[in-house]
Amino acid sequence: MTVHGPHRTARRRRFRSLAGALGAVALLALAGCGAPATTGAVGPTGAPRPQDVQEPAHASPQPPDTSCNPRASLRPSGGLPSAGQMPAGSTMAKIAARGRLIVGVDQTTYLFGYLDSTTGQISGFDIDVANEMATAIFGDASPQHVQYKAISSAQRIPFLQNDTVDIVVDSMTITCERAKSVAFSTDYFDAGQRILVHKGSPIKGPDDLAGKKVCAADGTTSISTIAGLKAKPVPVAVKDWTDCMVLLQQGQIDAVSTDDSILDGLAAQDPTTQIVGPKFTDEPHGIAMGKNNDDLVRFVNGVLDRMRADGGWKAIYTRWLSRVGPTPEPPAAVYTG
Amino acid sequence: MSTAAPAPARPGRTSPPSPPAQRGAGNTPVAARPGGTGGTLADALRDRLRSTPGRLTAVLAVLVLLGLGAGLASVIGVESRGGAVEETATHSGPLTVQAQLLYRSMSDADATAASAYLSGGVEPAALRSRYLADIDAATKALAALGASPGGATDAVRALNAGLPGYTGLVETARVYNRQNLPLGAAYLREASGLMSTSLLPNAQKVYQAETTALDTDRDSGGGVPWLALALGVLVLVGLIGTQRYLSRHTHRTFNVGLLTATAAGVVLVLWLGLSWTLSSVNLSEGKNNGSAQVKMLSDARIAALQARADESLTLVAHGGSGDRFDVDFGRKLAALDGKGGALDDAEQNADPATLDELRAVRNDLTAWRSRHKALRDNDDNGRFPLAVQAAIGHGDASTADVSADLDKRLGRAIDDAQGTFTARAGSAGDDLTGAGVGTGILAVVLLGGTVMGIQRRVAEYR
Repeated sequence: MTVHGPHRTARRRRFRSLAGALGAVALLALAGCGAPATTGAVGPTGAPRPQDVQEPAHASPQPPDTSCNPRASLRPSGGLPSAGQMPAGSTMAKIAARGRLIVGVDQTTYLFGYLDSTTGQISGFDIDVANEMATAIFGDASPQHVQYKAISSAQRIPFLQNDTVDIVVDSMTITCERAKSVAFSTDYFDAGQRILVHKGSPIKGPDDLAGKKVCAADGTTSISTIAGLKAKPVPVAVKDWTDCMVLLQQGQIDAVSTDDSILDGLAAQDPTTQIVGPKFTDEPHGIAMGKNNDDLVRFVNGVLDRMRADGGWKAIYTRWLSRVGPTPEPPAAVYTG
Repeated sequence: MSTAAPAPARPGRTSPPSPPAQRGAGNTPVAARPGGTGGTLADALRDRLRSTPGRLTAVLAVLVLLGLGAGLASVIGVESRGGAVEETATHSGPLTVQAQLLYRSMSDADATAASAYLSGGVEPAALRSRYLADIDAATKALAALGASPGGATDAVRALNAGLPGYTGLVETARVYNRQNLPLGAAYLREASGLMSTSLLPNAQKVYQAETTALDTDRDSGGGVPWLALALGVLVLVGLIGTQRYLSRHTHRTFNVGLLTATAAGVVLVLWLGLSWTLSSVNLSEGKNNGSAQVKMLSDARIAALQARADESLTLVAHGGSGDRFDVDFGRKLAALDGKGGALDDAEQNADPATLDELRAVRNDLTAWRSRHKALRDNDDNGRFPLAVQAAIGHGDASTADVSADLDKRLGRAIDDAQGTFTARAGSAGDDLTGAGVGTGILAVVLLGGTVMGIQRRVAEYR
């Protein structure tokens, strides 16, 4: 034990604290940095909604175009050609040569054009009418003679203009505006716009819709009508009619408003809803075709005339719409000259 | 090893250094003791250092300091790197796998739900049980990820809220499909939209967060122990210098204590360097042949699943807006086996077994492409039921068969790569474990040897 004991102790204490500091520095230097920053969530928040919902819709009210008579169409020329014997060079001959009729339809409108999952086929009132056209050309409506393309309401006119489909049978309202781009047959179904709400809703008609969210499909006369209503509802546009129903069931809109035929199909899928109010528009439905195919228009009108006369139209109506009410007379045909 | 008595007649050399009166040189005798009051501390130190024992004690102090520093730095450093490596094997590595599993299960659930819809009415039992297994796997993966701190907590929360919502929509769709009402298809479309706009992007975020955590842990584990190495080298330099000084002044070439300390120091530095080299080799192999491989193969698997969903959704759309799904289908398959695609990347570091699987995957893709062409031809030309049969049935024209085979092979390759990762992480951890204990012991030996060796010399001055 030397005299310098205490000093050595002091030095050792300093060494230890220095070593401790060094160790701490080493620890920090070698241990690396901390955990990565938490990243936020992405995507829409809140309750789920269908895709492609426009709220408010980009629809503008169409002023009523009275420049034409929507119901007037081309008169059928002479007798209807028999199946398999289409006049040479006609549009129908081209369809016959191809081997099948391509029809633009809807697969989401219950009772008119919807995919029946038990048969795996699209069925409905509009489909049966299209089948009549195929039968008139080919003799039957078997799957190799008619092909259905399910299209959205907004695709109806473009697909006719670029010949993707031959005809469109899709609860399509005849308007003078649309008649500038495509040709229509005579009226094969009379409809009018009404309102679908939950049972017990205070809405009783179009005047009760002030500030309410009202849904219809994009590119239809219905959404334009909603945009132009006096009560000023908020129009909500979707891609398919059943999307409106999903929004109604999820409580995200107040009402659906379109042709009563389409509303019949929606209400049939949900007994807690009901159709209210009067028909506040006049919506004649026609088969749409390419603008320049006059011969096809006359041919289609001829088939429709036959259906009116021989009870075919009534049979189709009874098959699909008997739940709605008694079978009426078919709408009369109006011809231009 | 000591020779004769300490060499005499060195100027300035005294026996007990403490009595201040015996200090040599022309300074005034210093009355104050070393470490005394201010102003004289520097003088005291200077005087102290003039004497050999003083110098030796100072050298001892410095060497002890450096030795302690080197020892602490190496032990603490090895412990922390070992901890980070263990994190990769037990925590961030498995969580990355869970994140991929989550993404994959949800993608598969979406594809299966679309196929089930095509079957119409009541879906086949096989599709239903596959869907349920996917939801189960996704829920379990989500639970494992939720328990991990520091992940993408907001994204996990959104997934926890959204996944039950998704399953609710799918069940609603089933109910309506059973009643043959088209409302079912609307709920299925809504479910699919929720999956692609919210659930899958959030799962992607979670995956990115876990990958970042894995990379951070790997970098920590493989970091160079600069401080410990530097201090170790400094200690060695100091020890060698001290031994040279001593051997010159004491004419005794070897000092047992200091030699032992030097040997311990050399072994410590070498061991530190070796353990770092081995562990970082293992870590980088664990990355190249392990976790990076898993990522590329998982990306390939998910692209295949999304292509499958696209194929079904094109058919569900039934001609209207199905084009964009078919375009995406082509894009997804090209991302798989095109030039520089996921398969090319995965083949770079694949072992022979995986290469075989990947070759079979390429064959599957070729078969899928040609069967898909036939399917599209049927759908576009009005033979819809044949197209659906090819998409969900079995047989020579079935795309379901070939895409299921592809999925299974990629799954096996992923399991292989994950096994490689776990093995390599384990090896890296082992490399470091020994080093922690070993360098600690060596540091103690080094300190002990230094103290002993120098104290011996200093004691000779008493």
